[in-house]
Amino acid sequence: MDADAISAAGRTPPEGSPGGDSSRRRVIIRTVKLRKEYVKKTVRTEALRGIDVEIYAGEFISVMGPSGSGKSTFFNMVGGLDSPTSGRVFIDEVDVAQLTAVELAFLRCRKIGYIFQEYNLIQYMTALENVTAPMAFGGVDPDAARERGMSLLEIVGLADRWSHRPIEMSGGQQQRVAIARAMANNPSILLCDEPTANLDLNTGQEILQILRRLNKERGVTIICATHDHRMLNICDRLMWIRDGQIERLARRDEVRIEVGSIGGRG
Amino acid sequence: MKPIDVKIQPRMGVSKTFSLTLNGIRYRLFRSAVTVGVIAVAIAFMMNILAESLTKAAVATATRERTRLERRAAWWAARLSGAGSVAEILEELASAVRGDATYSEMRAMGGLDESRMAELHAETARASAYIAFFGGLEHAHRRILVHGAAGVEIFDRLQDRTRLAEFSKRLAELRSLRFVTPIGEFEGFLARWPRTRADLERIREGRLAAISKLKDALGGRPVIERLAEADGAFGEAVRAAGFALSAEEGAFVAAQAREALEIRAVEEIVSRPEARRLIGARLDMAPSDVNVQSLWRLLGNRADAEWLLRELDARGMGVALDADRVRRLARRKFEEAAMTRAERAAAGTGGGILGMGERMSWLVFASMIVCVVGVTNAMLMSVTERFREIATLKCLGALDDFIMLMFVFEAGLLGLVGGLIGAVAGTAIGVARMVVVFGWYLWTAVPFGALFLAMLISVFLGVVLAAVGAVYPSLKAARLAPMEAMRIQ
Repeated sequence: MDADAISAAGRTPPEGSPGGDSSRRRVIIRTVKLRKEYVKKTVRTEALRGIDVEIYAGEFISVMGPSGSGKSTFFNMVGGLDSPTSGRVFIDEVDVAQLTAVELAFLRCRKIGYIFQEYNLIQYMTALENVTAPMAFGGVDPDAARERGMSLLEIVGLADRWSHRPIEMSGGQQQRVAIARAMANNPSILLCDEPTANLDLNTGQEILQILRRLNKERGVTIICATHDHRMLNICDRLMWIRDGQIERLARRDEVRIEVGSIGGRG
Repeated sequence: MKPIDVKIQPRMGVSKTFSLTLNGIRYRLFRSAVTVGVIAVAIAFMMNILAESLTKAAVATATRERTRLERRAAWWAARLSGAGSVAEILEELASAVRGDATYSEMRAMGGLDESRMAELHAETARASAYIAFFGGLEHAHRRILVHGAAGVEIFDRLQDRTRLAEFSKRLAELRSLRFVTPIGEFEGFLARWPRTRADLERIREGRLAAISKLKDALGGRPVIERLAEADGAFGEAVRAAGFALSAEEGAFVAAQAREALEIRAVEEIVSRPEARRLIGARLDMAPSDVNVQSLWRLLGNRADAEWLLRELDARGMGVALDADRVRRLARRKFEEAAMTRAERAAAGTGGGILGMGERMSWLVFASMIVCVVGVTNAMLMSVTERFREIATLKCLGALDDFIMLMFVFEAGLLGLVGGLIGAVAGTAIGVARMVVVFGWYLWTAVPFGALFLAMLISVFLGVVLAAVGAVYPSLKAARLAPMEAMRIQ
């Protein structure tokens, strides 16, 4: 893939398009004129002002931008966690707005994994129970679920802590459980909302490594809202959002060339 | 990679939901305990008021019955000394049951035939209901309707056509009032009233005649003294005069009258200065402070009673009673005092829900509202603070029904535990307070069945209220998109 990317850079593809010939890569998420307004009393805030973007299956894309830029809103729209004011989100050519509540639940359960800044583990469940919860909702047999849950915990390196509750774990451990939970039903997409924001440098690095590995080994599409510049090293593409609009969309190798100026931007 | 195809999400089983809920409650034990506590307090408050009201109502009924029996001798004494007014005879007949002793006695005294007596009996029942209605009116209303007249006066007054017309008009204007019967029925009753009144007068005259026949039998002595022989010659005389005094009743009345006389004899002790000095010395109080109550208190103790009787005998002031008898009398006085207290405390009951009295019914109603608000608020709080958890569960693929069911289970469980604790605590406190008010006398009348039923209702109410209180916010949270629910927090 790296080889692809390099050769693609040489052929000067359109800005922001992924490496390789695009017919070979399937679009998994597409947004069309995505807008979101929040109305609080009489004050209207435009969080997103028309976003058009295509995200390809199997890529690792970072969404960057200062706080209040609308990147969290974008993340929620794409994940089917919030409904847009206008515009559309297609997940694998399925219009999310057309889905019923039950279909949405199905989508959230199996097709998308969510990772939050605050981990959002269920406090009264053990690590293993947290990981197997989405499988329970998906109707997986409890024994199979437990087995799969343990193997997922092993991947994030917490197999020996399966019986601990969130309150007994550090932030990094909790986030790793959250990752295992997000992977529970083998989703195609992993949505991460500032996964490293609450963690120290090293722990954050570990989390990023795990995400990168999942992306590489399992081919999961990862969309990651972040301020974290280390993300530059591992993602395929970067998207900058400012004032609810896409400011820039670029491949990593394009950005690396001008890395000095990027530092000031994020 | 396989393409995404969206299917229907399966439902979570009820038992699985329940076990997840239990797990959650166990983990949040402290928060759950607080919620249970709030529910328990709300239910306890309601149950406490309910228990007190029910107990009071039951005690009031029991006391009324007891006092009627207790004052049988006094009642007979009153009956044999005066004929009473038409209004009194009316009420007496209205409360009689067709064919019982009073009923037959009145029929004989009034010289009425059976069918007329039955009619008259029905009329008095109606009259009594009307009188109760007018008696229960506010003063202002009564002034507007009948110019302040009361009792049978009202019927006499409304014999006048113009006054009746005025009354009907005013009654129609006072929309808040509901008259006992349609006005037409009342007019019919009024038309028959002169005849009813005449018959009641006849009964009264018959009774006067019977009383005058007793003059010789009384021999100028107080009626209560003569009633002590109601199981003997005097009873015969009373029967001969036309009163319905059965042999059984005679014996009962005689015993009661004798007891009353004995009590009077004992109480006379206090009127003697020397006896007062004796008692005062024994009780360590000034002789001038010694009264009937202190005497009975002293006599309630066996050793004291024996001592006092001995001392009095030695001074030639003895009462012809032994210590056991005196002690029994003291206990009766004590019971009587408790009963009077109960009567006073239970005043104002009757009417309203379950005969608890208007004021108590209102209190129960108000406490129910407090309970509804308290329980609902407790559940609202506990659900609202879990919006983030609801949102997370939705992200993991939970269906709205699962979330609803989870909260309904949780609320139901908390409601059940809180309701049980509250119902038991409220009843215990209520009954304990009633024990303080009514003393031992209460135990003759505690309405265990009604209390148990009230507890069941309270627990049920706790469960339902908690569930209802939880459903609304959890439904709200479940319906929202996950991120909106998280944002609310």
